[in-house]
Amino acid sequence: MKAPDAIERVLLDEGAIAARVCELAAQISADYAHAKDVVLVGVLKGSFIFLADLARRLTVPHHVDFIALSSYDRGAVSTGAVRLIMDTRASVTGRHVLIVEDIVDTGCTLDYLLRTFRARKPASLCTCALLSKPERRQVEVLVDYLGFEIPNVWVVGYGLDYADRFRTLPYIGVLKRDVYE
Amino acid sequence: MGLRDDVKKVLISEEVLQARVAELARAINTTYTDADRLLLVCVLKGAFMFLADLTRHLEVRHEVDFMEISSYGAATVSSGVVRILLDLERNIDGRHVLVVEDIIDSGRTLDYITRNLRTRRPASLRVCTLLSKPSRREIDVPLDFVGFEVPDEFVVGYGLDFAEEYRNLPFIGVLKEEVYQGSE
Repeated sequence: MKAPDAIERVLLDEGAIAARVCELAAQISADYAHAKDVVLVGVLKGSFIFLADLARRLTVPHHVDFIALSSYDRGAVSTGAVRLIMDTRASVTGRHVLIVEDIVDTGCTLDYLLRTFRARKPASLCTCALLSKPERRQVEVLVDYLGFEIPNVWVVGYGLDYADRFRTLPYIGVLKRDVYE
Repeated sequence: MGLRDDVKKVLISEEVLQARVAELARAINTTYTDADRLLLVCVLKGAFMFLADLTRHLEVRHEVDFMEISSYGAATVSSGVVRILLDLERNIDGRHVLVVEDIIDSGRTLDYITRNLRTRRPASLRVCTLLSKPSRREIDVPLDFVGFEVPDEFVVGYGLDFAEEYRNLPFIGVLKEEVYQGSE
């Protein structure tokens, strides 16, 4: 597939992503081998592709649930205020919860989710993210299973969008600066 | 692996599934143009895996939105009326909408969803489903893109669950009778 003109370069190609997702799944499967009642909580919209690939590689039985969040912000600057649009369908109390995110940026969203879920008294609570931008971090959050650390560039594809575009590219690409400036 | 032991047979293998998903994407690519700004509406939870693979093959410009629905229980089964837990983020007035489903069974839920979406005046409204069980149909719903017609068996995997299990199998399998008998 030819890269759209808005893409400056491919940061992570399909092969590199697939290999890393396999490694993460193997690690998670080993760590949760004896856990009963595991639930993966996918954060919409961004995580759906990562979740679909990760879940298929897991060998531990698990449930999948989704939450939808929205930011109160408009534009590129984040204040960290998060609005919960849709909660999980099932209760997470007493269950092993793994939050699945596409990217950890400021850390505000993940911090909000960790605080929200911790209050519900899960048996355990861990986080898995495909990407992390450490340079952008405003809140310290622990990512238990991380795919890749990336520099502070605007990335799209594999679930990540720019104004809802480029979300379903099968790779992670860097958006040209003139597209968002 | 325990989950696979509960599967009586593989109905559609991973390879056959992936090849068909790519074909469906090609058909969608030729149906729409970039100017249509196609909007895919994924019905959760079941269709997320299909959507993830389908959209990665799409070359035509498109966006993705999600709906999550839940039934009100046995009393409303015959009407197909469902509760919308998560509605679309965007207005679809004037948009070309393609509903993405995992399976069409009686057709009642899909009928309800499409009637609901049509009131919002999309420019066009089509349906893409991975699986269809024609023998179970109670209401006639037009399907524009169908992956596979399947017999009336208890199928799981690739997004489809039984009691929330088996969703993550990478193929479509038929569940053993002893797994679901007595539980419903």
